[in-house]
Amino acid sequence: MQEDELIAGLRTRDRKTTEYLYEKYSRALFAVISRIIADSDIAEEVFHDAFIKIIKKIDSYEESKGRLYTWMANICRNSAIDKLRSKEISQSSKTNTIDDFVYGLESQSGTMEQIEGIGVKELMNNLNEDQRFIIEYIYFKGYTHSEVSEEFDIPLGTVKSRVRAALQVLKKNLDRI
Amino acid sequence: MNIQDYIESGKLELFLLGELTEREREEVLTLAKEYPEIQRELDTLEETLFSFDQASGPAPSAQVKDKILASLEPEFRKAEGPKTLSTPTEAKTVKISPWKNFAVAASIVAVIASAAAVYFAGKFYDTEEKFTALLQDQQVMADNLNQVKLEFEETDSRLDRLVSGDFKRVQMIGETLPMQKDAKVDVFWDQKAQEVFVAVNTLNSLSADFDYQLWAIGKDGPVGIGLVNPGEKFTLQQMEAVAEAGAFAITIEPKGGSKAPTLEKLVVLGETA
Repeated sequence: MQEDELIAGLRTRDRKTTEYLYEKYSRALFAVISRIIADSDIAEEVFHDAFIKIIKKIDSYEESKGRLYTWMANICRNSAIDKLRSKEISQSSKTNTIDDFVYGLESQSGTMEQIEGIGVKELMNNLNEDQRFIIEYIYFKGYTHSEVSEEFDIPLGTVKSRVRAALQVLKKNLDRI
Repeated sequence: MNIQDYIESGKLELFLLGELTEREREEVLTLAKEYPEIQRELDTLEETLFSFDQASGPAPSAQVKDKILASLEPEFRKAEGPKTLSTPTEAKTVKISPWKNFAVAASIVAVIASAAAVYFAGKFYDTEEKFTALLQDQQVMADNLNQVKLEFEETDSRLDRLVSGDFKRVQMIGETLPMQKDAKVDVFWDQKAQEVFVAVNTLNSLSADFDYQLWAIGKDGPVGIGLVNPGEKFTLQQMEAVAEAGAFAITIEPKGGSKAPTLEKLVVLGETA
């Protein structure tokens, strides 16, 4: 299904299209949230609400302002960050690290990850210390680039370029698969 | 402006992370439209992020999918409602069918109840009819019983009289007469009490126009002392009183009897001495 067809279907609240969207993007979108929120029950709750929000707000999505996945991923990321900063989650949960996440994944579904041939661990192993740090804070702890810049005294431009560099490494590794 | 520098600046990544201000976003979008390289880079980065997200996490549980689809059900319904023709009918069917079921059930109950009412009404009338018939039967039996009782009492009193009285048995036979060779009738006569009974043994039945008449033949000639019923065999039929008789005889007379016997039609004859 083409993206414009998909969007048109979602706008008419077509059941089949919505199910297609779920099948295609649920895993990725849930990962955006579960990277930030360690508790899987809360992560699923946030994902539920975010997915409903995506369907209900599809009319306000403008194709000219970015691709569909980016728009959806941002809704999920923002929902997760909002939840993380709400009183419902204690501050200790914020100390989610890549290792915690990877450990959690492996203990939950370690074998599954191996079968699928790729794990976050392998991807992360290819990053250098600086890149890994940036990715951990932005992708796993829900920091914005300016928050990382302020909290760790890293110039904004450096944060930006490290994010870019990290993504380039990830891209290369993902392409290889 | 150096496109490559712009791409390298990391602004596009932040654009994808939604961390740019509205003004910066507009700038990226305008440049992407203007420079295909920027658009291509955005597309590539988005692919990368999607692949990274896709690869880096577990799938949500099946329950979440069910819950999400259930939550979205009103949205689907709203959209499907007025547009398609088949779905509203379906939805209608879902709503109406319980009512229909109740209606069908109620109808069935009503039919069964009516059938039962008719059945029991029929039974009631049948029973009433039978009851009436039984009452009538009982009346008939009571009547019969009364009659039997009367007959018994009569017979009993006759027997009493026969046993207690001084009756003489006079056998009358038709052997010597031309009318009925096998005719045989007995007369019981108590001369003192002047009572006479007749008991038919064998006597042909007559047409409706004739009767058997018993005669007591004395000094003054034959005297009719009653009609004999040939059907009442072996019972005592009381006749009129007779004080003096040398013989008894039965003749066939026109219905009701005659003043004088028709001797040509003498059936039986018996002498008292």
